Amino acid sequence: MTTALAITIVLTGIWEWHWRDFGAVPGYRMDDALWARQRRRIDEGEGDATVLIGSSRTLFDTQLPVWQQASGRRPIELSLVGNSPLFVLEDLAKDPQFTGRLVVGVTPDLFFSGFAYKQGLLRFYRKESPSQRVSKILSMRLFEPWLAFYDEDFALFTVLRRLPWPDRPGVGPAFDVHKIEISEADRNTYLWSKVVTDASYQALVRSIWAQSIHMPPPPGTKPGDAERTADEQITRAAAAVARLKERGVSVVFVREPSAGEFVDHEKRDFPRASTWDVLLQKTQAPGIHYEDFPELQGFDIPDWSHLSHESAIRYTAALYSIIETNYPPANGSRW
Amino acid sequence: MVFNTLTFFAFFAVVLALHAMPFSWTTRKVNLLIASYVFYAAWNPPFIVLLWISTIVDWFAAQGLVRAERTSSRRAWMLLSVVVNLGMLLYFKYGGFLLQNFTVVMNALGVAYKPPPVDIVLPVGISFYTFATLSYTFDIYLRRALPARNFLDYALFVTFFPHLVAGPIMRPTELVPQFETPRRANLSQFGFGLGLITLGLFNKVVLADTLLSGAVERIFDRGRAPGLLDAWTGTLAFSGQIFCDFAGYSTTAIGVALCLGFYMPDNFRFPYAAVGFSDFWRRWHITLSSWLRDYLYIPLGGNRHGAARTVLALMITMLLGGLWHGANWTFVIWGGLHGTYLVAERTLRTRFSGYRPGALGLLCFGILTYALVNLTWVFFRAKDFSTAWQVLRGMTGFNGAAKPILATVYIASTAAVVGTILATHCYMRNRTLESVIARTPPALLAVSLGLMVFAIVISQGEGNAFIYFQF
Repeated sequence: MTTALAITIVLTGIWEWHWRDFGAVPGYRMDDALWARQRRRIDEGEGDATVLIGSSRTLFDTQLPVWQQASGRRPIELSLVGNSPLFVLEDLAKDPQFTGRLVVGVTPDLFFSGFAYKQGLLRFYRKESPSQRVSKILSMRLFEPWLAFYDEDFALFTVLRRLPWPDRPGVGPAFDVHKIEISEADRNTYLWSKVVTDASYQALVRSIWAQSIHMPPPPGTKPGDAERTADEQITRAAAAVARLKERGVSVVFVREPSAGEFVDHEKRDFPRASTWDVLLQKTQAPGIHYEDFPELQGFDIPDWSHLSHESAIRYTAALYSIIETNYPPANGSRW
Repeated sequence: MVFNTLTFFAFFAVVLALHAMPFSWTTRKVNLLIASYVFYAAWNPPFIVLLWISTIVDWFAAQGLVRAERTSSRRAWMLLSVVVNLGMLLYFKYGGFLLQNFTVVMNALGVAYKPPPVDIVLPVGISFYTFATLSYTFDIYLRRALPARNFLDYALFVTFFPHLVAGPIMRPTELVPQFETPRRANLSQFGFGLGLITLGLFNKVVLADTLLSGAVERIFDRGRAPGLLDAWTGTLAFSGQIFCDFAGYSTTAIGVALCLGFYMPDNFRFPYAAVGFSDFWRRWHITLSSWLRDYLYIPLGGNRHGAARTVLALMITMLLGGLWHGANWTFVIWGGLHGTYLVAERTLRTRFSGYRPGALGLLCFGILTYALVNLTWVFFRAKDFSTAWQVLRGMTGFNGAAKPILATVYIASTAAVVGTILATHCYMRNRTLESVIARTPPALLAVSLGLMVFAIVISQGEGNAFIYFQF
């Protein structure tokens, strides 16, 4: 048993060294349990907090320490990578315990397409067992802050899947999003420095986004479907915002900056006039579009979609200042 | 609580520490009982009440059986146990299924019946612990066993956490006597127990969840018609996944019990090396098949009342055994197919009673057995019949124009893992794990265990529930 343990320790050490050499650093796993921990803060006395929902841009671009420094209070981060935040918005609208302020990030191709594969998260948050909660606590204490390899991107099957296997005719290339972020215990997240400094890795990430941008529509899509879907999302958002406003919750929509092929795609397929502007008009909520504010422009967007950590810090300070100055909460509190 | 979680390891460390303390045997048993309730409640605390109901009803039913002198009284006590246990099982496991079928029948009869929406949560392990408690009552009713001497031993038999939620399905005669005398694992038992835990978790986390589940999900859950290669890969992957998942659980459970000084019976004996289906059922989920044999097949008449009655008993047993696995007609078909295989084998054995196959014949029959078992796995895994037919059409080459689904990595990992499982089962067919370990050099064992733990660590499993938890 001692020999077996020694072999395990040596091999695990070599594995950890390998991933650190690759540039990995320890971070917290952005799993359902971590999201549920933050969501529960609303149930446990922080219902009057500022809550951030959105997709990865909100998650990476809005830095909680900077917000905290400006407002005196750390927001609750509930944004979800690769998902429209609409179902979270609706969930918060239904929750009478939430009476704070809400920042809703809008990534056009997620928000207006209604793309969301994580709705099961709400069920997990409601039904999470004591055992699952304890496992997450132990993981956050014992492994996540210390081990760089303890990341979905470096798990055994992910590594095997990314080996240069021969292509099988007829099986298209997988849409394989790679690790691009580092997360902290309260889900404060920023872009991994490797995306900024490693040109080949940056090119890889951009090529993955390009793959998603040029993906053909699902089979059976008819002309007008995209517009109808966008309208549905806006209608649902308007209903949720109306419900929140009835409780005195201040809501602001934010369109974070993007670049390169991403911004071209967004302008072409989700024109501002028929999506963003309609959203603001129907929800009667204020919105901050980066194109309207010079102080929200000119940042470093290495992968066309997310700001570098250094840019995200400056962006958050500028964003907070705009929100606080232009849209102070009705009840006299601070964002 | 699931074995492959950090919570379990923390829990087990505390249980081991308490079990090693110089407390009285009664105190240590109370510790184990409380720990078992914590183990169960860690999933969904309110459902522990069901466990208590099952425990208490069977305790009193058994006491009543011992005191009762008239046959009718004995029957009444036995029926009380059956009604309460099967009633809970029916409501929680089959309530939705029965309502759904009732609705179909009513609608077919022209009655526009729309049932209210039901959302019944299935208590984890209810099929396992109700069978365990029922066996206690049945054994006493059939005068095969004496009741436990005290409630603590009996409650611990029902609740003992290693077998509580997914077996092996223990009989009172196997476990209750072990609670009568103080037990603590010696160093050798403890080491062997840890080895079994490692092997079980390697099966579950690395083989089932990491290397096989992806191919299975892509074939059975995505709604696309698979071609020949994809359909067979998905089905073979499931044959490996279900074995590694369930045998992994059983092996871990046996290891956990052994670390505490208790023995539990084998639940699997290399089933994919089976030649014939009676052989398969002597190797697959042994504690369930022996439970069904003793408490269903034999009471239905077994093979003592002629060929027709034997066939009937066999088919009823296997159909109900299928339904035990899940509230879906696909499971009934799975059981029905196995029943049909067993009947066919029995008929052939009778007709060709003098035939003794050679090595090549055994190999061919072994391959045939495995292939036919795979056909049944399609119904076991598919969530509905349309998916099952779609996969079966692919396996028989009738989805000719189907586009490829699986990337090379899934085919390669399935071939490697399932190939290794089959080779291992063939090698181990007439051996036991204990005998092979005894002959293996300690250095090789240490390297194997070290590699398995390393593979578990880097697989980064996320505590996926065991497949049999849903049964």
